[in-house]
Amino acid sequence: MSASLTLVAAMAVMYAVGVFMLLERSMTRVLLGFLLVSNATNLLILIVSGRAGVAPFFGQEGLQADPLPQAFVLTSIVITFGISAFLMALIYRSWRLASVDVVYDDSEDIEVGRRRSSMTAEREVIGDETEFGIRAAAAVSDALDLAELERLEDQASIAEQLKTEELTIARSLADHAAAEHGAAEQKDPEQDDIEQVADR
Amino acid sequence: MLALLAAFALVSLVVPALTRVLGVRVFFLVAIVPTAAFIYTLAQTPAVLAGEPPAETLPWISQLHLDVSVSLDTLSWLLALIVTGVGTLVILYCAKYFTNTEEGLGRFASVFLAFTGGMYGLVIADNVYLLFIFWEATTVFSYLLIAHYTGRLASRGAALQALIVTTAGGLAMLVGLVMLAVGSGTPNLSELIYRVPHNTMATVAITLIIVGALSKSAIIPFHFWLPAAMAAPTPVSAYLHAAAMVQAGIYLIARLAPGFADIPGWRPLLLGLGLLTMLVGGWRAVKQFDLKLLLAYGTVSQLGFLLTVVSFGTRTAALAGVALLLAHALFKAALFLVVGITDHRAGTRDLRKLSGLGREAPFLAGIAVLATASMAGIPFTAGFVAKEAVLSAFLQDAASGSTLGWIALIGVAIGSTLTVAYSARFLWGAFARKKDVEKVRPVHESVKFLFSPGVLALSGIILAFLFGWLGTVLTGYSTLFPTEGEDYTLALWHGVDIALVISTLTVIGGLALFFARAAVFAGQSRVPALVDSGRLYQKSTRALDRLAGRVTATTQRGSLPFYLAVILLVMVGAVGTTLALNRTWPREILIFDGQAQLAIGGIMVVATLALAGAGKRFPAALLVGVTGYGLAALFAFHGAPDLALTQVLVETVTLIAFVLVLRRLPARLGKEHEKSHRAVRAVIGAAVGLLMATVAVVALGARSASPISRAFENLAHEFGHGSNVVNVALVDIRGWDTLGELSVIVAAATGVASLVFLRSRTDNLPRIPEHLRRHSLRARLTPSQEVVAAEYVPGVQDPSTRNAWLLAGRMLAPENRSILLEVVMRLLFHALVVLSLYLLFAGHNLPGGGFAGGLVVGLALAGRYLAGGRYELGAAAPFDAGKVLGIGLLLATGTAIAPLFFGSDALTSAWWEATIPVLGHLEFTTSTVFDIGVYFVVVGMVLDVLRSLGAEIDRQQEDASERLESGSTI
Amino acid sequence: MNILTPLVVLLPLFGAAVALTQAKHPRVQMLIAVSALSAVMVVGIVLLVAVDANGAIAVELGGWQAPFGIVLVVDRLAALLLVVSAAVLLAVLVFSVGQGLADGDRETPVSIYYPTYLILATGVFNAFVAGDLFNLYVSFEILLVASFVLITVGGTELRIRAGVVYIVVSIVSSVIFLATIAMIYGATGTVNIAQLSVRLGELPPDIQLILHVMLLVAFGIKAAVFPLSFWLPDSYPTAPAPVTAVFAGLLTKVGVYAIMRTEMIIFPGGKLNTVLLIVAALTMIVGILGAVAQSDLKRLLSFTLVSHIGYMLFGIGLGTAAGLAAATYYIVHHITVQTTLFLATGLVERQGGTTGINRLGGMLKSSPLIGVLFFIPMLSLAGIPPFSGFLGKLALFEAGAQVGSVLAWVLIGVGALVALLTLYALARAWSMTFWRQTEEIAGYESPLPAHQTMGVSTEVKKARSTPRIMMGATAAMVMLTVALTVFAAPLFELSARAGANITGPGYYISTVFPGGTE
Repeated sequence: MSASLTLVAAMAVMYAVGVFMLLERSMTRVLLGFLLVSNATNLLILIVSGRAGVAPFFGQEGLQADPLPQAFVLTSIVITFGISAFLMALIYRSWRLASVDVVYDDSEDIEVGRRRSSMTAEREVIGDETEFGIRAAAAVSDALDLAELERLEDQASIAEQLKTEELTIARSLADHAAAEHGAAEQKDPEQDDIEQVADR
Repeated sequence: MLALLAAFALVSLVVPALTRVLGVRVFFLVAIVPTAAFIYTLAQTPAVLAGEPPAETLPWISQLHLDVSVSLDTLSWLLALIVTGVGTLVILYCAKYFTNTEEGLGRFASVFLAFTGGMYGLVIADNVYLLFIFWEATTVFSYLLIAHYTGRLASRGAALQALIVTTAGGLAMLVGLVMLAVGSGTPNLSELIYRVPHNTMATVAITLIIVGALSKSAIIPFHFWLPAAMAAPTPVSAYLHAAAMVQAGIYLIARLAPGFADIPGWRPLLLGLGLLTMLVGGWRAVKQFDLKLLLAYGTVSQLGFLLTVVSFGTRTAALAGVALLLAHALFKAALFLVVGITDHRAGTRDLRKLSGLGREAPFLAGIAVLATASMAGIPFTAGFVAKEAVLSAFLQDAASGSTLGWIALIGVAIGSTLTVAYSARFLWGAFARKKDVEKVRPVHESVKFLFSPGVLALSGIILAFLFGWLGTVLTGYSTLFPTEGEDYTLALWHGVDIALVISTLTVIGGLALFFARAAVFAGQSRVPALVDSGRLYQKSTRALDRLAGRVTATTQRGSLPFYLAVILLVMVGAVGTTLALNRTWPREILIFDGQAQLAIGGIMVVATLALAGAGKRFPAALLVGVTGYGLAALFAFHGAPDLALTQVLVETVTLIAFVLVLRRLPARLGKEHEKSHRAVRAVIGAAVGLLMATVAVVALGARSASPISRAFENLAHEFGHGSNVVNVALVDIRGWDTLGELSVIVAAATGVASLVFLRSRTDNLPRIPEHLRRHSLRARLTPSQEVVAAEYVPGVQDPSTRNAWLLAGRMLAPENRSILLEVVMRLLFHALVVLSLYLLFAGHNLPGGGFAGGLVVGLALAGRYLAGGRYELGAAAPFDAGKVLGIGLLLATGTAIAPLFFGSDALTSAWWEATIPVLGHLEFTTSTVFDIGVYFVVVGMVLDVLRSLGAEIDRQQEDASERLESGSTI
Repeated sequence: MNILTPLVVLLPLFGAAVALTQAKHPRVQMLIAVSALSAVMVVGIVLLVAVDANGAIAVELGGWQAPFGIVLVVDRLAALLLVVSAAVLLAVLVFSVGQGLADGDRETPVSIYYPTYLILATGVFNAFVAGDLFNLYVSFEILLVASFVLITVGGTELRIRAGVVYIVVSIVSSVIFLATIAMIYGATGTVNIAQLSVRLGELPPDIQLILHVMLLVAFGIKAAVFPLSFWLPDSYPTAPAPVTAVFAGLLTKVGVYAIMRTEMIIFPGGKLNTVLLIVAALTMIVGILGAVAQSDLKRLLSFTLVSHIGYMLFGIGLGTAAGLAAATYYIVHHITVQTTLFLATGLVERQGGTTGINRLGGMLKSSPLIGVLFFIPMLSLAGIPPFSGFLGKLALFEAGAQVGSVLAWVLIGVGALVALLTLYALARAWSMTFWRQTEEIAGYESPLPAHQTMGVSTEVKKARSTPRIMMGATAAMVMLTVALTVFAAPLFELSARAGANITGPGYYISTVFPGGTE
């Protein structure tokens, strides 16, 4: 069997543009891309169903079109409808929350990129302090109490931890602000409308 | 033996509970188990002597060759005695060492016992995988024991370090064991050492196993974890880090030596590492101030010593090795316990702060002297006997002209000199009077406390006298090695021979070193640290973290477009490659299949391309719509009326929904982000399109078999009793797909509702009085409810207006309504509903079916809503969408389940026909009921969309504006 | 049996339908959900016993003879996975009931949770028994759309963001899958899996390869195989703990299962084994490095999830009966253990108010039981004996050693290394979360903005008392993981038989076409 190149070409274009839009950050564009790609896929199923023919009804004369792919297409049409409806609700939701139509990068990932060690506090220390210290039965006067020693050490470690944390915080806060700023530029419809007016 | 293992496990499980009751006394109870094991092992001595080791096997997982098989040959017998004996004593010691107030006491007791059990299992295991299980068990338990003082960073760090280092070795060992077991075809140690395949694989395997052993026994380059592990409570150090765990590696080497000692590389490697460790350990020990650390480094040194001997592979060396193993366990455990008492009493382990403890605690000092003597190899101690044996073993070998023998001899001699030196330092540091150091206050010595170290130290001496007999038992192990001339026998006194001379020299040299310690320190400070893999470990973990961070940062961008791009590129790359390799291309090509395709296809392409550049939302939506309708047209011309119909309806509903959402978003599609990536995206898109096209052509070109659907026409007619093949396929032949599809729809609808209706803090919704909730079900705020609520607004309550025809009249602001439109929609509505029913029932034989029907109703509802607003919608559909969905799904699943009760397969359709006077000939198939289910689900879905994306969004919008106004007025 | 098989799909679906009509009575819904899943579990056990005794079952739905209608096929592998996943789904459901996900937390409307959860279950079960490629696609859609709803449930900003990543990637994978089905139908004119393995075999090998690769790409995304796995760690952690748990436990495994079928039934012969092995190694390494880099428990676990998918691929890539048996056992092990760990993390979150490791501490003191419930599965995941993780790895290593190729040895090495790194990452997290004193973190509140500190954690109120029922559910799961060791012998025998069934397509085909194809 052979495919109708016309349909194949149409399908190719739809896939191309669909993917092109899927790779966008604007969720509306993503949705449009999804619709395109799904239509392309339905077209693909139609293509692989072979030659066109008369509608597959019992007793129809002449070469009938392959009914099975039609069943597939029907199923996929409806599924696509469901998903796209869900995506629309999603778009609306994110618009209500942040009035953004944009998928931002995952902040935690960006964070990880910066951090040197993921868990700052756990480092190896050779312990040479005693277990009883001045709590011992007859301690020598300058026996250092281990609890004492521990507190010192912990303070040290916490201080260090704080320091590193603060660093990352400072950075992340900075670029968070930056992101917000960017968002501010993106959204804000009035701006757009004004521009339109200006256009006319 | 298995029973004993079980006892270890069970008791350690109940110990935590018991500790709450007994406090430290629980240790006496705990000690019973290892004691029992000790006695049992002792009782087996005759059997061991007779050379028929008792063995037990419990088959477990045959697929993995993993059986619980244990045996008690000479070596195991010796080790079992050590671990259980020393274990018992240390546990008893704990009872005095800890107090009831100790935190996590129950955990400690239980884990300690479990560890002892693990050690016991480790030394008696015969199956290599079983051995590994116990091996890792000891690792994990030691992890928990080292970190007993969980609050302390030092303990946690040390625990983690020990865990990682030993597990790293352990896993290497596992791989080695697998290699060996698979290579030699037996998982049992006892047989394995006789069937060593002498090939590179065996060499690799044994190297890996050695790595494991060395890491466990803290041999260079893994030695660093041991001193760090001194953060553990002293009993733990005494048992794990002197007698038991660290000797596991030595045990394994000793276990394998008979089979592998002659494998190339084995001897030089182990000898070198052993000697190096012995020297480095000693060298470090000599300069320690913390008594415990001194012992720790001493242990490292001794382990090196042990390794050198047991790996040497001659009969005498083997004998000497096991003797030394025993001696070391006894004196080292004793010394650690002594340090524990010192710490307990004086409150410090720093030998610079201790002075005159000997005078205050003579018995403690005495015990320490005995143990140290054995460690230094002073005559008439176990240590001495062992050392003699070692030296003569090496002499023997050296005499036979092997350089290794000489190296070993010299190395060991130097090593023992250092040993003597730090032994002296230990005694002096712990007990001597030191000038200008304040002497310790008087302490009282408790016999209970001294018991364990005392027994250990004394047994070191007694053993020296028993060695003659013990030697005969131990030959059971040493005779596994090839004999060289007459066999050496252990004895308390061999008369004055070269060995004795050497050991005398070492003692003198050691003492000299000790007295010249000032000079030695000076020297040491000038020599850089020989081996410092501790820093190496820290460096490598840091490096690991950094690497992990970098790799993750590069792959895990957190950017959706990036992820998608990667996925698509992978597909293009992979499938593209296979396409490049493809040799079978379709022969004939078809340009188009009917002119209509050209026209429609052209339009679709144009629309699609336009979409790529579309900047505003509405046009974009319309353009997508064009492709959708174009597709419908293609279907129509392709002989798929059902598809065409459904596609048109779906496309319309989708467009409406889209518009409903879009009206709340800015007209502009926002500026495209990262313009720079535009080209990349275009390329990827083009690639995907091209790929799909090519594969489609190739795949279709390869079709040879005729599709199964050729049979559908007749099947549909004869068994499906419908002439619309596609519809029969949907509701009957492939009804299962449709069923699944319905659940997709239901889930999607629910999701839409959940996203729009969720009560988040932002939108607070009017509560409807309880008695009005009657016909509202799913999300508590369907528009219909609001209709009810609205009807109770004062003024609209009087019955005359209650059933007004155009309900919206009262609810919509005059300027927002178009009476004409409303009227038209009202009139159309019922017509459409009737049409939908027709489609539904005709569908089986003509184009149509449940989907089409449901969508038509949906359109009718949409019309009502668009014309009259959400109250009109509420009036048109005064029921809850969720319920509709549920009923639809119930009908569909019902038709699927019902046949099961009649013993036929799920979804099997039944068919009746009858001729009723008025109505004439009627046919009915159960698949119609299924189709009705479909119908309901689709209606519910559309209704949900309208409710959520339409009505609810209106409401939220109005709320917002109201809030705004009220804000402005105030 | 012909009656029981479809029930595994119909019961939860029916339950969902009823639950939808009972929207106002959460208690009723809960009962329906629990009973439906327990029923499926019972049915699954019966099926497993039956199949193990008298061979695989093929049910021709609607009485439509294969290949025309849709067949459901239950062989040992499918039945085993049915039972395990039913058990896991049940436990997680109970857990979520305890967490009050269903009623208490106003972030999540009850009327949505139960029906959707049941539909998710429907999809998972159907995927295991589908004997028809297009039906497999439909089952994927079912569980995907349901998971879309669950991952965005409550619709907080963070969940929406994560949801979008997950949803878009999933729909792309579905599109690829559907397109592939279309291509395959184009080439063979059928979608019945058994018939496909015959007809595809008749195609020219180079065309087989094209379709084979496409199918693997589609499944690879679902199974989160490197480099198609990046989406997972970004999307899973934000969902509520139980949802994350069930996703981590089951969804990716469905993908792995599909890959298994592809390699063994649809495109037998292991032409791509080398590729699979290489991919497996990369998945393990990159995944675990990601885990090491994380400072949030949920994210850390998500990365270990990705990395351990590699082990299963390892088993599949070996292509031998032993390898498949090992992979089967590993799947069972990983479903249970990964889920358990996420549930335990849910407890930690509940107790400690966060999953940020740098902000947790003193858990062992405050609730030792949670410590135990976390520690055991942690060891198991890291492959510490005698737990199931070790047995699974041992099985894989032995299978690899029997193959003995260089690549196999490399994989064994990587497997060992990754086990170590898993232990490293988890033990570090453990010692900070459970051992570290609260004083060490006391008075230290991270000033990071809410959505930067893993939003879910900020939603949870600090140190709430943990309901017994949550503990109970988690404890039950821990028991299950231990049971995997205790009953390892029969399980491995079963896995071995299951593996033997699918080393070639013959058994499967003869099940669907007792009288031979055509």
